[in-house]
Amino acid sequence: MNVFLAGGSKSGKSMLAQRIARAMQPGRPHYYLATMIPHDAEDDARIARHRAERAGWGFETVECGVNILAALEKADPQGVFLLDSVTALLSNEMFRADGTMDEDAGARLARELTEFAEKTGNCVFVCDNLFADAGAYGDWTERYRQALGEIGAALCRVCEAAGEVCCGVPVWHKGGWAE
Amino acid sequence: MTLIVGGAYQNKRAFAMERFGLVPEDFCDCQVSEPDCSKRVLCHLEQYVLRCVREGRDEAALLDEPSLGGKILIFDDISCGVVPLDAETRAWRERSGRLAAALAQRADEVWRVFFGFGERLK
Repeated sequence: MNVFLAGGSKSGKSMLAQRIARAMQPGRPHYYLATMIPHDAEDDARIARHRAERAGWGFETVECGVNILAALEKADPQGVFLLDSVTALLSNEMFRADGTMDEDAGARLARELTEFAEKTGNCVFVCDNLFADAGAYGDWTERYRQALGEIGAALCRVCEAAGEVCCGVPVWHKGGWAE
Repeated sequence: MTLIVGGAYQNKRAFAMERFGLVPEDFCDCQVSEPDCSKRVLCHLEQYVLRCVREGRDEAALLDEPSLGGKILIFDDISCGVVPLDAETRAWRERSGRLAAALAQRADEVWRVFFGFGERLK
């Protein structure tokens, strides 16, 4: 089953996603798709903390900062995947190291993630909910938010379950998953 | 009257079209025009509020519109960030919230949309 989860910062969405992914398809390999590309010591520390939190959960980490479909060459497509997060993946794809923006990143990623969901059939996608504030962020950030909205909508179409996470508790808007 | 709220880019418009059998001509987009009450749907009402804030008008005038009863009204939820430092954005956020709440009180139906999925709150 493919699952889409969105929630605010510290809403418990990652932990819920881990629990759902771990419970899926026992016996098959479980992969954590690591989307963060570290840039400094703070990032290194955050990654170390996330790795420690996942230790013992049975996930094999696959680095995947860009080009999500390439992960299928490094992992068994019949396995279970946890992609945390769609937000970071879009940021990596959209904002290039040379300071320019890839305007097609949103549409491309919506297609690639849909294909990823269809090929694997067992993926939990985690997305940040950054759509309900009054901040004026400028054009680039607004386009980033719009692209993330489009990707979220595409994933909601392809996933069998889609929900919003609050304090680690899901509110299901499509399908559902019971612990 | 029906009120539809939700964050930006949540497919509120597509939800409204499907749920209420609307066509593009039914919509007045308040991002680019004043609320046109000959249309069945007024969307981006938060942008109407922003213009009222900037131009010193009272957005609550909308509540007196006689044809409001049959309308579908769509708002972007802008309520969840940090209190904005800038006074205009602060006033916009507060006044959008108050108008939406006043409309919700009168509405027969209130919907909240998450990535195209509507959840009926009232």
